[in-house]
Amino acid sequence: MTISDETLMAFADGELDSATSAAVAAAMREDPDIERRVAQHRALRAKLQAAYAAELDEATPDRLLAAARGTPGLRKVAGRTRWQPTRWQPLVSMAASLLIGVGLGYFVQHRASSPMIENAGGGLVASGTLAKALSNQLASERIASAPVQIGLSFVAKSGEFCRAFTMTAAASPAGVACRRANDWQIRVLAQPSDGVGGESAAAYRTAGSALSPVILDAVQQQIAGEPLDQSAEIAARQQGWRPSRR
Amino acid sequence: MNTLGTRENVRDQLVALVPRLRRFARNLARNQHDADDVVQVALERALENLAQWRSDARLDSWLFKIVRNAWIDEVRSRMRRNKVFVAEEAGAEVGTDTMERATDIMSVQSAMARLPEDQRVAVSLVLVEGLPYKEAADVLGIPIGTLTSRLARARAALQTSLEAEG
Repeated sequence: MTISDETLMAFADGELDSATSAAVAAAMREDPDIERRVAQHRALRAKLQAAYAAELDEATPDRLLAAARGTPGLRKVAGRTRWQPTRWQPLVSMAASLLIGVGLGYFVQHRASSPMIENAGGGLVASGTLAKALSNQLASERIASAPVQIGLSFVAKSGEFCRAFTMTAAASPAGVACRRANDWQIRVLAQPSDGVGGESAAAYRTAGSALSPVILDAVQQQIAGEPLDQSAEIAARQQGWRPSRR
Repeated sequence: MNTLGTRENVRDQLVALVPRLRRFARNLARNQHDADDVVQVALERALENLAQWRSDARLDSWLFKIVRNAWIDEVRSRMRRNKVFVAEEAGAEVGTDTMERATDIMSVQSAMARLPEDQRVAVSLVLVEGLPYKEAADVLGIPIGTLTSRLARARAALQTSLEAEG
């Protein structure tokens, strides 16, 4: 009796109807070669399952758990305004390149709230690593491996010190935080999918470039005067980012 | 029918499925980062389109299909943007990753990595994920005969490369 290899494979996979299956089983008993081939198919199946079994035990990234649960995402805090070129454009372009440079590392971001940001009394404030970086890190200190990057610092029209930041952790957005009392209040939080719809992987891929206009708009809206240079940042840091009397 | 209660339950089921979706996506993308991106997109799409899921259909098959479509979209958009397809680097990454695993796992996975994509996906769905032929054929949108012949060719190739190594 000749049995095709596909039939033996289907037999080993438990895919045959009972009549065909019985015929193959009978043939196996008579023909050691058929038996050997079935055993080979079964062994290969077992080998594959064994080779990939360990992957199921790996920890699931938070962003995927959040996506599976459909956890509602953080929305951008401030309203989005349209981009209008101004005399700040050169500065903003420079900042854009910094932010994009950081943003490109992101790709897909999950939309659940990040532990670096807390909800406090109706607003969002920076916490943990983000709060520390906002208080201590200079914009000129750009360490690629740092979890937070400061894009630029500026004094807002309100007189507060504000800083544009990005977070390199896979789960985190970019934004602008301003110092009020003892908190870094998050004024803008941009999701990379803002403005690109998020309906396809392609949209996520361009997230790095979609990210910056939102932040830069916010900077442009709020900035009073020039962005801080390094010495102005150091001075601001020394005074605990409290508004100077002017 | 998807009542609210059923949907909550679907979320739990989705959470439980994530490890298998990652494993499947990794066999598609051959790169963990791309795989996770694709899984995330697929999960989001699944929740958006939950109404399209017939509750008598297998949720895992439906999700595998969405994962695969998300990956196809991703590959197409990369090609549109003229980016070099990363298969080769990704192949190297699989190699590095598997270096840390036991030798037999390494040889199985590298044998898998050498398969043409259509065969690798068939093996991944049937032999790794354990889908019946019919479900796997539906996921891929191909006739069952096409699936079995891909599977048979893939197995012959795997067998040969494992024997050559072993």
